[in-house]
Amino acid sequence: MCVIRLRTGWCTARGEPLSAAEREAVAAVVRRAEQLDELEARRVGRLVARLEGMRRSAQGPAPRACLLCGETSRLLAPLRTCSICRNSACPKCVIDTPPHRSPIYSREQYMCNLCAETREMWKKSGAWFYKSLPKYILPERKVTGRYNDTELARSLQVRQEAGNSSNECKTDSEPGSPLSIHAPSFSRQPSNTDSRKSISSQDVHHEWSETDILTHGVSGLSLHRTESITQRSIAGLKRTGSKGSAYSLRSIRKEVPKPQPEKPTIPDSGFGTLEIKLAYDNATSSLAVTVLRARGLIGMDMTGLSDPFCRLEILPREGTYSNRLRTKTVHKTKNPEFNETVHFFGITESDLAAKSLEIVLFDDDRYGCDEMGSATVSLRDCAKAPTQLRLALSGASGNEPTGPRVLLALCYNTKKRALVVTICRAAELPPQDSNGYSDPFVKLHLDPDPYHKKHKTSIKWRNLNPVWNEEFLFETRPTELSRQNLTLTFWDKDYGKPNDFLGSLVLGASSKGRRLKHWMDCIKFPDHRHEQWHALTDTQHL
Amino acid sequence: MAKTYDCLFKLLLIGDSGVGKTSILFRFSEDAFNISFISTIGIDFKIRTIDLDGKKVKLQIWDTAGQERFRTITTAYYRGSMGIMLVYDVTNEKSFENIKNWIRNIEENASADVEKMILGNKCDLDDKRQVSKERGEQLAIDYQIKFVETSAKDSLNVEYAFYTLARDIKAKMEKKQEASNPPGARSGAHVLRASDQQRKPPSWLSRCSLL
Repeated sequence: MCVIRLRTGWCTARGEPLSAAEREAVAAVVRRAEQLDELEARRVGRLVARLEGMRRSAQGPAPRACLLCGETSRLLAPLRTCSICRNSACPKCVIDTPPHRSPIYSREQYMCNLCAETREMWKKSGAWFYKSLPKYILPERKVTGRYNDTELARSLQVRQEAGNSSNECKTDSEPGSPLSIHAPSFSRQPSNTDSRKSISSQDVHHEWSETDILTHGVSGLSLHRTESITQRSIAGLKRTGSKGSAYSLRSIRKEVPKPQPEKPTIPDSGFGTLEIKLAYDNATSSLAVTVLRARGLIGMDMTGLSDPFCRLEILPREGTYSNRLRTKTVHKTKNPEFNETVHFFGITESDLAAKSLEIVLFDDDRYGCDEMGSATVSLRDCAKAPTQLRLALSGASGNEPTGPRVLLALCYNTKKRALVVTICRAAELPPQDSNGYSDPFVKLHLDPDPYHKKHKTSIKWRNLNPVWNEEFLFETRPTELSRQNLTLTFWDKDYGKPNDFLGSLVLGASSKGRRLKHWMDCIKFPDHRHEQWHALTDTQHL
Repeated sequence: MAKTYDCLFKLLLIGDSGVGKTSILFRFSEDAFNISFISTIGIDFKIRTIDLDGKKVKLQIWDTAGQERFRTITTAYYRGSMGIMLVYDVTNEKSFENIKNWIRNIEENASADVEKMILGNKCDLDDKRQVSKERGEQLAIDYQIKFVETSAKDSLNVEYAFYTLARDIKAKMEKKQEASNPPGARSGAHVLRASDQQRKPPSWLSRCSLL
């Protein structure tokens, strides 16, 4: 039997569960993959930051001036029209795209540098495949202008203390560390914010390549150039700047490992920490869990704050009975003080040896809650005496939501000046009819919308996993978009009685977590389809 | 610039147990070969950065266990991968027949745009061969997937296979990019007029709900 299974791999019977050693081996691989994913997320973050920097420094569309540098049309250098965004740009800020295969439109095609860069970013980040931007981590705050070594040292130290030490050390220890290799290649320049208008093409190109080197090489400390300087001074600065910076970086690298954080370090994967106290009472066979505080949680809303609460559960569950408790929500903070004690009753001493406590932090939200991190602790230790623990939270498990969910694509079309919402499909909708199915359709509207436009999809009869692929247009402006909310409500069509409510979803600037990210991505990168799954909530809010 | 790259492609190796997925990967990433058979536990991955038309492409290649008992773990990695290599063993008829099952498995679990490739491994063992090259080619034509016979032991076509798959993904990326842009990118000045007209009428009447 075993031989057959080995040879074919297509045995219908499921094999035995994984042993502890196997689980450990898989977990080790997953951890390695996570490290790589983080590097990748940082790389994508740098690409995004770079594009944003370009967009910020662009002059903005104007009828007879270059989109990027603001240069007006001249006789020998007429403005070109970007074939993608339809804005005019001077010849220095456009690139020729290869002539298209179609013989009819054989005339030259131009693409403005901004569109070219967006395109490049879409390619490099892998968004072309995933149909939306993958997870990214923006580089830390940029420091423009004069930069001295003490500042550099401080920022390095801050980073070290911020608890990112695990991944930082990893990059450092590898041969060819970005810090050591690229230190000589960054230049400094005095801040000179008003000189943007005079960017000439060579400068623009130069700026990009420089920024490229900087953002790629000196990842975290990214000195980001926004000002233009002439080529000559770049060269000069390079020469003067290189020695000093290379030296100082090297010396700092030697110093950095010395100052150890005073607290016992716990591996922190960037989701913050949680302090709890466990006390077991033999007489009442109850377990008192005091959730003291959390520190350094991830920000979920627009302002970078969260409304966290904890959900506590003793695992594994017994039967269908769920032993789930939650704390109160602490609003608008990343460092909540919960100071709340919850009691689990009916916990025997044998339970303590076998079971564990799972604490999941959620972000409280009117429209459902997003997971912010979780920790699991074995109850074995608290059997004898009360213990106080500091736990590192780990990231939300599984990116894709489960349960009732919808696949939604957003795209802001700059030509039509409209938000295109595609309702692709939904899955695992709740059954509402007596036949065990629902007849779902979706109503959607934008709020506030000056045109008061409301849309409806078709009805998919007797279907809990409907596929619509229907597109809807909402005319709006990008600036308005950041104040609007898109509301989707899912209904079960019934004749003769009111439609049954199936679920809802609100996306917009006031939403949080992955919904906010989806919305912001759509605003930030117009003319691209952003596709994402979202979980539906069962609360009805109109 | 040793550590930077332009794109990250995620590839996946699937196929029956013992066909040589791990060996192929070992040959590609370390250029070495190990005669002993150690069954992969669940999943593993290796990294190699290759140069493709002047672009540095980092390949993250997932190696999966062929055994059924790891199936739930391995299928979880289908969705994220941009390219999948289906590996069978030319000295094992059964593994060749199972390619169909694996393709079905891909259709159920992987992204629709995934690039595929079939590898007939162990082609150095000609005396033990059970599946002829022609049959492999025919299967590949049936499914319209590229096919190549490889040998991890003799380092035959392994590099070629990975480069081809990566190049196909890259080509798809370029194509996608062109298609994903609004139509203006393709049809020049003509669209300018069209879009101008579109912009003018007041939006009250343009009650577009279905495109």
